[in-house]
This record gives sequence, C-alpha cells and structure tokens, in this order.
Amino acid sequence: MSDHIATAQIDLGVSLGRLQLANPILVASGTFGYAREMEPFVDLGQLGGILPKTITLAPRPGNAPWRTVETASGLLNSIGLDNDGLDAFVAHHLPYLRALPAPVIVSIAGRSETEFVTLAEQLEQHGGVAAVELNISCPNVTGGVDYGTDPNRCGGVVQAVRNACSLPILAKLTPNVSRIADIAKAAADGGADALTLINTVLGMAVDWRGRRPLLGNVMGGLSGPAIKPIALRCVHQVAQAVDVPLVGVGGISNIDDVMEFIVAGASAVQIGTANYFDPSVSGKILKALPMAVQESGASRLSDIIGSLDITSADVASDSTDNR
Amino acid sequence: MTNPLHASYYADHALQATVSIVENRPVARDTFQLRFDCPELARRVLPGQFLMLRLAGASDPLIGRPLALYDTVLDAHGTPRGVDVMYLVKGNLTTNLCRLQPGQQLEIWGPLGNGFATPSAGHLIMVAGGIGQTPMLALARERLGLRCFGDPERVVSQAERVTLCYGARSADYLAGVEDFRETGAEVRLATDDGSRGHHGLVTELLRDILNEEGPAAEVVCCGPEPMMKAVSEVALEYDIRCQVSLETPMACGIGICFTCVAKVACEAGWDYQRTCVEGPVFDARQLVWD
Repeated sequence: MSDHIATAQIDLGVSLGRLQLANPILVASGTFGYAREMEPFVDLGQLGGILPKTITLAPRPGNAPWRTVETASGLLNSIGLDNDGLDAFVAHHLPYLRALPAPVIVSIAGRSETEFVTLAEQLEQHGGVAAVELNISCPNVTGGVDYGTDPNRCGGVVQAVRNACSLPILAKLTPNVSRIADIAKAAADGGADALTLINTVLGMAVDWRGRRPLLGNVMGGLSGPAIKPIALRCVHQVAQAVDVPLVGVGGISNIDDVMEFIVAGASAVQIGTANYFDPSVSGKILKALPMAVQESGASRLSDIIGSLDITSADVASDSTDNR
Repeated sequence: MTNPLHASYYADHALQATVSIVENRPVARDTFQLRFDCPELARRVLPGQFLMLRLAGASDPLIGRPLALYDTVLDAHGTPRGVDVMYLVKGNLTTNLCRLQPGQQLEIWGPLGNGFATPSAGHLIMVAGGIGQTPMLALARERLGLRCFGDPERVVSQAERVTLCYGARSADYLAGVEDFRETGAEVRLATDDGSRGHHGLVTELLRDILNEEGPAAEVVCCGPEPMMKAVSEVALEYDIRCQVSLETPMACGIGICFTCVAKVACEAGWDYQRTCVEGPVFDARQLVWD
C-alpha cells in the first residue's frame, strides 16, 4: 500500500524523448517572462524545466493594447509574440537562464522553416539550452498557426529542425483544428521528442455597447481554468494516437490538475496562466507532487502516466469529435 | 530596448501573502477604502508603487487587479503594519471585493513597480483625475515630512509646498479630500458638472497655478489617459519635470505577461514597455501618446 512509500523516496523523474527531467513540473512559455522576473516567488532551480517567452529571429513589438481581457475563469490574450529577437535574448536573458540549475527549453517561432532552423541552430551553438519548443500554434501572429494546422507543414518544420540541430524538440500544438491527432502524428513522424498540448483556444470578447472587440487584435487565445477540459481531451486523444511523450498544458492551477493530466497521458505539464494570478503556484505544486504520487499508490511518477481507465466509462455514448 | 539585467527592474522586494481584511468601507460614490494587515509589505512599499490583489481561491474573477498604495498604517510603536488601498467599483472583481467583510481573506503580491522618483525640493503639484488621487496621499505625506517609506527608509528632500489638483465627474466621486487636507497639502478641486470646485478640467487648475505663481518644481500626475496627456503637455510647455503614473490594465503585475505595455520613446521611435516593471511611473517626456 501507498503508506509504505515515504514521499522522499518517490521518483519524480520523467523522460521527454532525449530530454530527461528531474520532475514533470514545467512553466509555460509566455507565462513566466524570462524567469528572472519570478525569482522573488519561485525557487527556479527546483523546476522540472523553464520555458522563457517565445523568441523570434527579429524583434517584434507585439500587438496593440488591449492585449488581455479576462473572461469567465479564463484570460484572452493577443500579446502577439512581443519580444526583442534572438540576439537580444542571447545577450540579455540567456546568460541568466544558462546559470540556473533547471533545464531551459527555449520556445521559438519562425515565419518560415528556415527561420525555425536558424533559431534552433543558433541556440544550440550558444549552449546552455536543454531543448527547443517549436511554437507552431500562436494564434496571435500572421502565419503563427499555419505550421500547426497542416499536417504536412507541421511534419516538415519538425523534421527540418531535427535535421539541423541535435537539441531535443518539443512541438507545441494548437487545439484549433478538427483532428489534433493527425497533426500530432505528423509532428511525431517528423522527429519531435515530445508534443506540448495545448496552446490557447481561439476566442473573442465583445463590448456590445461600444460595438467593438475588446482585444486590440480583435481575436485572441483563451487560457486559464476555462480551457482545462479541452486540454485534457486533447492529451487523451493524442495519447491514444502517438507514442511520443506528451506535455500537458491548459488551465493547470493546482496539484489535482497536474495529476489529471498525468493520468490522462501527459509525461509532464506546464503551468501557464496560473503564474499570473498566483506567482508562487509552481513551487506549491512541486511541493505537493510527491504526496499526490504517494496517494496514487505508485513509487514512481512515470508509472501512472496514461493510467486512465476508460473501460469503466460508457464508451457507447462516446462523444469525442474523432469522427 | 531596456536592459533587463538591471536589478531595480525586478520585483525583488515583492512577496506573496494571504492577508486579512481589517476594514473595507465606502468613502465616496462607488469608491471604497480597503485596509489589510501585512507588516512585511507595509514596511517596504514606496509611494507610487502598487500591489496585485485577488480574491482568495476564486477562479471567477480569476486575474488580480493592480491597486496603488494609498497609505500605510502604523502600530502603537510607529512601525508600519497595515496597508490602505482605494478602489472604484466597476468590474467583476471590485463588485465582489466591496462586499467582503473584515476578517475575510485576500491574496496579494507586492510591492510592485518603480514608484515615484524622489523629486527635487520646491513646490510639488500633484494632478489627479478620477481614482488617480490614490497614489498621491503617501507621496504628499512623504514629501511633507510626515511619514517615511521603504526598508531601509528612503531619504527624500522635503517639498516647500504640496498642492493637489483633483478632478472627478461630480462631487460625490471625490474621495479622501480630507486625508489630503490633513497632511497640510493645499487642495484644489474640479468637477465635470461643477457640483464642487472648479467647473471644468483639472488641467485648467494646473494652468491657473502656474500662471499665477510661476513654475513649480515638479508635477506628478495620475488619472485617465487623455487627462495625463494634457497634463504632460502643460508641464512640457512650462518646462517642468512631470512624472506620470499610468493606469494601464494589467494581468500579472510582475512583468511576465506583457499585457500592460505603453509606448515609450527610444532611438527607433518608440517601443512597448511593461508598465508594471518599467513603470508605472514614467517621465512624461518618455511617453508617446496615441
């Protein structure tokens, strides 16, 4: 029984393909700044991995305000990949990130395969980067989701990066497709070490009195607890379709959320919007993790990944959209 | 591009805490003053800094709100213990917040932002519109030598005089006027409907003072954007240094979400800067108004 296992002996280590993590608690790109901002709130070195805000080759000012709007249990954003570009990242942020004991997974977004490849190659050359996450799913930039909605292009960009550099690759996918498993298969076939599910859900907020959209960019991506059921569904569907490890993200704000994703098939998770409304949340979750694994009866977290039992569910009334 | 390795740019003095409400009372129309207990924050916070506040455990409203320091409250030994903030009830969070009673809990993190720079001695004119008087009270107390802020306490040159020009839609929205008068600051009021004070804009009060009495040493300003833009222009016209505290909507308050950007002049024209970590107080000459 579980009470024979001391929490200190619980093995939290997980593998994301070629990337080994001491624990599965990561923080999502775009919700953790460049990590330095979070030093007052989180013991950064303890995290399973850190994903700084997505970088692009050239600087991007981002979209016009308003950039976020709160909705019921969620947050719509249209930040638009505001960042100072690769060179500024390497000069100003990488030295700090490199010195952290936690693995740094750099989220990159290109407008073309060539840009993705250049970003990955240059990051590998600079060193101190544990892996790259291909952001092929940002709804807030022109062409941002093209690689994430077309299986051929998705597989192509993953393969191009895989051929060009030796860093482990995570591909972050969008839920804004009819069949996410098809995209996931393409990314896996292209050589992704792991798939990150999900980026934000395309949405909108309207001021009807003013007859105007509330976001400066009209539409934006929804995140926060409101999208957790969608993210869980995507993890579940993709876990059944591919063999590569999955990283669950979407509305995670406490330890139970984390365990739900693990059981549904995620090998690791990313804390996103919760960092905004509870800056110390990732540390709190990490602290609670051994106890939760112990409660499950396992001594290794990896033993409960994908342990969801759907035989007890009424599969005859299956309502998934996988038609 | 601001070099983000600069230490003061980060909220390194910030803490996150669950705090208890001490007092939550109406002080003007749709306007409440909230006091909570948090000695660690009260000891560190500076005039013009803010904190993020959220209803404990709630997922709707989900996101915190930035609230400027109004005042700190000292215990019997003169040690800062309580924190006062003021808020206008206008959204989901503040509608819920104004119903909370003493003893109920809130999540807060702070102090955040740069706060007002310690200005030069002389006549300080504070120009506030709407709920924008909030960050001015602590500054008035500090500049008039009534209260010290920060840990270690920061040393500021005393102002010879402090004047508050405070405008609101109507008399019933004016909040905390007596608090300002008690500091010894001179208070001039304006309302859009003429129900109290000058019938017109607060910038007209500012112009009157400058025309009658010559240039002030410094202007600080907080309020709706058109008003801050107008005040900045007056200050530039009279060649007076002007600090503007922006009220940009924020989601995190700590520099990680990039919601609260404002256009700040740079070599290439302008760049978006985060109001929460690079502000909320900017030199008016830096800002690029739309």
